[in-house]
Amino acid sequence: MTAAPALRERPPGQGQPWPWLLPAVAVLAVFYAIPVLDVVRLAFSDATLIAPATGLSLDAVRSILGDPALRKVLATTVIFVAVNVVALQLAGLSIALLIVRGERRGLKGMAAFRTLVLAAWVVPGIANGLIWGLLFDEAPYGTLNSLLGSVALGPVAWLSDPKMALVSAVIANLWQGTAFSMIVFYAARRGIPPVLYEVAELDAAGPWRTFRSITLPLMRRAIAVNSVLVSVQTLNTFDSILALTGGGPGRATEVLALFTFNTVFYNLDLAGGAVLALLLFAAGITLTLLIGWIGRDRGTS
Amino acid sequence: MSAARWGDVASYALFALLAAFFLLPFAWLVSLAIRTPAEVYLGAARFIPEAPTLDNFSAVLSDRAFLSYLWNGLKLSAGGGALAIALAIPAAYACSRIPFRGQGAVLVGLLAVQMISPLVILVPLYRWMSTLDLLNLHLSVIAVYGAIGMPLAVWLLKVTFDAIPVELEEAAQIDGASRWLILGRIVLPLARSGLASAFVLTMVMNWSQFLVPFILLERDQDWPISVAIFNFAGSVSASTTQLLAAACLIAVLPAVLVFVALQRMIVTALISGAVKG
Repeated sequence: MTAAPALRERPPGQGQPWPWLLPAVAVLAVFYAIPVLDVVRLAFSDATLIAPATGLSLDAVRSILGDPALRKVLATTVIFVAVNVVALQLAGLSIALLIVRGERRGLKGMAAFRTLVLAAWVVPGIANGLIWGLLFDEAPYGTLNSLLGSVALGPVAWLSDPKMALVSAVIANLWQGTAFSMIVFYAARRGIPPVLYEVAELDAAGPWRTFRSITLPLMRRAIAVNSVLVSVQTLNTFDSILALTGGGPGRATEVLALFTFNTVFYNLDLAGGAVLALLLFAAGITLTLLIGWIGRDRGTS
Repeated sequence: MSAARWGDVASYALFALLAAFFLLPFAWLVSLAIRTPAEVYLGAARFIPEAPTLDNFSAVLSDRAFLSYLWNGLKLSAGGGALAIALAIPAAYACSRIPFRGQGAVLVGLLAVQMISPLVILVPLYRWMSTLDLLNLHLSVIAVYGAIGMPLAVWLLKVTFDAIPVELEEAAQIDGASRWLILGRIVLPLARSGLASAFVLTMVMNWSQFLVPFILLERDQDWPISVAIFNFAGSVSASTTQLLAAACLIAVLPAVLVFVALQRMIVTALISGAVKG
């Protein structure tokens, strides 16, 4: 009974956090930490999806890293991620700023437009690939080609030309992914004190000058963090590409995540897939550490 | 006309362009889904079919398996969402109310694991589940969904809890209520809308999941809709474009409708999360 009053007097701001954190930490350990360690172990083994590892070996690492396809896949991945990161953020930023401006000016249809962009976001990745597959259909009655045909353009080899196929994959990803950047930038823009814009107006600063001197500098952190989030998301994207092109033609649109998926679940090469998964993991973690680094800067700058 | 008015005109022009881009895939999907096979070959020449038909939908839905794919999708998404929330509540509460060393590390760690592709962890998880005979179970998929959805849920719920005044809890504490009781009786009811947004958001994300069920469920009858349409697309020829469109529309519609109906609530939660994070 003596301990009870002491417990009772504790304000809500104190106590042992660990019992509360236990479920979350246990989940992180079982579903993330241990599997990642196991991936490391598998990468240095000779396991296949159907046969267990028989011993340590560097064969998988050597054969995957020596695979000429990997170079092509990595190049495709870098292009795909880089182009998407720039395009997604330009689109997201423009739309967010347009919506904020529209709201301020009392323009109609802002909510409907935002809803439309968000609706694309919740389309499952597989469905995204299939839907754009219908749009990019190269038959004469395919959507985009028949649209272009009606103004005497095209036809474009959307999916059969290797370069164009990558462009098509970027377009499909842009359609679905823009909403995320839009939300982040919309939140960041709304967080800028309106008084700054009022001062700019008093100083008769034009819109471009206001954007350069107020909006952009104050959103720099949001842009930095969002770049990392978006690049990791894009790095891990593969279901929409799988449904759109299957990685083809040839390996033209086979990004690292899709290559990993194919290696493990089609070629049943578990050790090789683990090496690739490690590469994917390392790339993701590197980008995440960047967030931490950017976040740490917050207090000082 | 003033500069601001010209700006409005320019804004509308840009909106129209962007709206066309975002609308086209949806509009085209609907247009294809209500066409007869003959009209599919007309392409863009006839956007609104002369004889719109619902036959494609009935053809897709008459396959009883398709209904069970939808049901499986709903079951897995809702189960996974609920599990993610349940796992996240205590951690989010601790992060919101109990200052402790390493709190920043926990929150950043949760953000960091979100960066790990499910592809990475599924390789070992598949092997373990295979050894433990846990493949082909909906519960296994729900467990993985719970793990994947939990980190985001912790972030969203922490922000929700932060917004609830702590005085209410202090009052209850003076009355001798335990912290679990306070959480259950005071905090959670007040956090209703935050809990609901986090649940709906994780659920919509689960609905989109392809990889986890594709790998953990080998039997056709267990599949959710996302896996089923991928398989369906592989099996149809070009002559059944309209059927594929109808199937895609059926797969996409539930998530889009739920999200659109609840978007104000969800977007508010996301925006406050984005500001704090």
